[in-house]
Amino acid sequence: MSESAPTAAETRRIAEEARDRVRFEEEALQLSDQVYRVARRLAGSREEAEDLVQDTYARAFRSWQQYQPGTNLRAWLLRILTNLNIDRGRRVQRTPEQTPLEEGDYYLYNRLESTMPDENPDEERVLERLSQNAVVESLAEVPHDFRDVLVLVDIGEFSYAEAAQILDIPVGTVMSRLHRGRRILKQQLADKAVVN
Amino acid sequence: MGCGCDDCEMMMQPYLDGVLSEEEIREAQEHLERCPGCDKRFRFEEKLRHFVRVAADEPMPEALKVRLAGLRSGD
Repeated sequence: MSESAPTAAETRRIAEEARDRVRFEEEALQLSDQVYRVARRLAGSREEAEDLVQDTYARAFRSWQQYQPGTNLRAWLLRILTNLNIDRGRRVQRTPEQTPLEEGDYYLYNRLESTMPDENPDEERVLERLSQNAVVESLAEVPHDFRDVLVLVDIGEFSYAEAAQILDIPVGTVMSRLHRGRRILKQQLADKAVVN
Repeated sequence: MGCGCDDCEMMMQPYLDGVLSEEEIREAQEHLERCPGCDKRFRFEEKLRHFVRVAADEPMPEALKVRLAGLRSGD
């Protein structure tokens, strides 16, 4: 009997593994729009975002067996992506402690309202002072540690717990960075809206 | 500037995030009912969050989708 002839059990195992792998790949690919949405706002350019997503999927497909079926695949993919993004050396940055003190939460509204002729404008009208470009540019100017959390939670719609797991930081840190990140974003938006 | 309601300003993010206690929620709501300035700023913040999410969204290029599919083990 030839040594290479697999037993029936082995053949079955190989077939099952191939099927699991295909299923994993399909599930991962179904999430690619959501993965790209986060990547695009974490990376500086569209090209960088595309590379990041491609490298993420290449790594995910290579190490698919490390994924525990039934757990959060979207968070698992984003964990790979944020690690790759950090590996790319984007951490040559200010740390959170060195960022300037930000303004309060009403700052943006107050700045926008002050540029409007009406006495007491509707909040919809105030919001119309902001452009899509201003949002994109302002997000890019939020320091990385804050932006990671802001993009995951407010754009990727991840929970605090998921963001904490993805970035490997405590939930409390997610919340404080999110709050400060939003304020920094609003400060950037205020500057852009008033200049325009 | 604003209505000078510093406490309410501090409560805005946790209020909209749904992480306040029942007691704190009630306090915030009582204040909002009395203070149209804060109420308007809270509504603005909610709409701003939605606007940011929509404005930041950029569809994935089709070519990338094809490249990702090509990374599968069967291909």
